[in-house]
Amino acid sequence: MTRKLFPTQEVGSLARPLWQLQGQHGATPDARGRAEFEEWNEDLGFADPEAPEVRAFLKGLPAGTPVGRIKDWSALFALRFFEAAGLDRVYDGEARRVEMYEAAVRQMRGFEFQGHVRSFDNKYYLKAAGVGPVTVERPYHVEEFDFVKAHARAEPKVPLTGPYTIADWSYNEYYLGRHAGWKSRGVRRAAQRDFVVEVARQALRPTIAALIDRGCRVIQIDEPAAGTHPEEADLVAEGFNAATEGLDAEFSMHICFSDYRSLLPALLEAKRCRQWTWEFANRDTPEHDVYDLLALFREYGDHRDVGVGVLDVHRDLLETPEVVEGRILRAAKALGDPARVWVNPDCGLRTRSLNVSWLKLNHMTEGARRARSHFEGNG
Amino acid sequence: MDARSFLTGPFPRSEALIAATRDLDRGRATVEEVEALRRRTEREVVALEERLGLAPRTGGYLLWQDLFRPIAERWGGFSVGPLTRWFETNTFFRQPVLSHPPERVPGALLPTLPAAHGAVLAQEAKVILPGPYTLAGLLDNRSGETNEALIHRLGRLFAEELTELRGAGYATFQFSEPLLPVRPPHAAASESVVAAYRAIGQAAEGSTTVLWTYFADATPVFPLLQRLPVSVVGVDLAETDPLHLPVPSHPLGLGLGCLDARTTLSEDPHQIADIARGAASRLKPSSIWLGPGGPLDLLPWGPAARKLEVLPAARASLAKRRVP
Repeated sequence: MTRKLFPTQEVGSLARPLWQLQGQHGATPDARGRAEFEEWNEDLGFADPEAPEVRAFLKGLPAGTPVGRIKDWSALFALRFFEAAGLDRVYDGEARRVEMYEAAVRQMRGFEFQGHVRSFDNKYYLKAAGVGPVTVERPYHVEEFDFVKAHARAEPKVPLTGPYTIADWSYNEYYLGRHAGWKSRGVRRAAQRDFVVEVARQALRPTIAALIDRGCRVIQIDEPAAGTHPEEADLVAEGFNAATEGLDAEFSMHICFSDYRSLLPALLEAKRCRQWTWEFANRDTPEHDVYDLLALFREYGDHRDVGVGVLDVHRDLLETPEVVEGRILRAAKALGDPARVWVNPDCGLRTRSLNVSWLKLNHMTEGARRARSHFEGNG
Repeated sequence: MDARSFLTGPFPRSEALIAATRDLDRGRATVEEVEALRRRTEREVVALEERLGLAPRTGGYLLWQDLFRPIAERWGGFSVGPLTRWFETNTFFRQPVLSHPPERVPGALLPTLPAAHGAVLAQEAKVILPGPYTLAGLLDNRSGETNEALIHRLGRLFAEELTELRGAGYATFQFSEPLLPVRPPHAAASESVVAAYRAIGQAAEGSTTVLWTYFADATPVFPLLQRLPVSVVGVDLAETDPLHLPVPSHPLGLGLGCLDARTTLSEDPHQIADIARGAASRLKPSSIWLGPGGPLDLLPWGPAARKLEVLPAARASLAKRRVP
């Protein structure tokens, strides 16, 4: 099947609408929440405004609205948001997940949450320890995918938190504790390998298999921790291979805010990965063309697709369609093959307001259309 | 053999304090409420330090958002820059941006230190500051000054700071230098490090100075560390085998970072004691100090507190004569 040049895709999360944040905690949406719901619903049509449940929710009737319904609307809202912006691959903005780490770990056995750890400033995340063999009672994110599949008009792509990231963002008690004696660097690495591979085999692989059984064809494995310990890039690849062993789907690996050079060539051993989906725009400056990095794939003889980040998700500054177009063309040139370039934001857009995300995504799809026009009629 | 022990970096905030700071960011709590809770938590850390025999005390440095922040916010020439990964961890610091040569602002750091709010007396507290090499190496230097000149200049500024802090009653000063083992200095930078610590050493004469390294093997940089006029040099036992350290030419206080803040598993106090005995036998230190290798705020409050419980047991084990 031939696909168009520079197809566009989301990478993961989207900011929660105010009405979701209020509603899922049992509160009645306030005036701002109601206005947000109604204005976006007018544009996107994610809920029937005349449906009794919707009317009850917005009026805040005492009976309330089941949290599940609110999350359904949120998932539909995100789907329609991405679709209306013109993306070719979409998901639900991770509307049902508390955050990428905790949402996955809560589905697994063998973990115990230990408390909050600072990420930076006053921002904390709940961190678990692996305290026993990793298993899953049943595959997760399956119902979430079923819902998306039933409602998506564009092609769905499921994001899954990768095994290396789950292990790296957890304390490793069980596998490290099996090694007697002082926990030297070599011991810690061996234990980390065990942890990564077991998360991959026992949690990710059954989940991916179940998603494929339900008709999922495109799966993005998120490994934002990959850049934390560049010397462990081989473990990232090993975890990816273990999670996808014997399975057939269009797999991609998302990495962001990392020194990609330091991960190569070890990362290229992720054999079933068909697309590298990486952040670039955040560090692209007039003085430094970051898309040059893509030439590395030519140097290593790697011919897989690349999802190039063209939107900085950490800044409100709007990339114009011309800027996006330029980034895509530079990426295509560095990679040496425009047919291998996908277009996406650097990472999930959760930290941007919905209005900013909307404008950014629309500029992205328009930029992709402009970039495409350079190749029209060429073959 | 006697050993002492202390905290070597920030202690995690309590779950209650974390919730309060989150509420503050969301407009659900006031600055005054959060500050009152922070002071209560600081007293709890001091109480924990007292109970476990950790001295001098730190109060947990709960005000310090990262190793550089009060300096980046309060000294001249600096501003607070972008989020930057804190070595090979899943935590981030705000990179200081130095636009002009740095200027120390008298009195600026005092309100951020352990005795500022009465949780502990200055004489019984330890001041923890970034080392000049680590600060110079991790900031975004737009000042026009070379890295080598900047290391030396920061050393002189810290010397001035120590003079002021000694006047306020502080007598123990730690400089945290994770960058020294992670990215050892080349020859010219090494001489700047020596010059910086000579300036610090002169200002600190008669007090205790600690240079604490972590996150990487200190063996390659240990010959340089021995040249520095500090009372104690600390190494991270998760990365460094003290039996591989070159034997110092003069007696040196040896700090052993024996608690790994990157795992919730508690260390075995008897293993710590054995390692300390081996190190003492080989290196003949003038004193031994036990503490966390890296900053304990890589752990939540509960696991961090549990880890610290090992230190008195390790001291006790070390104090016993080993039965052959």
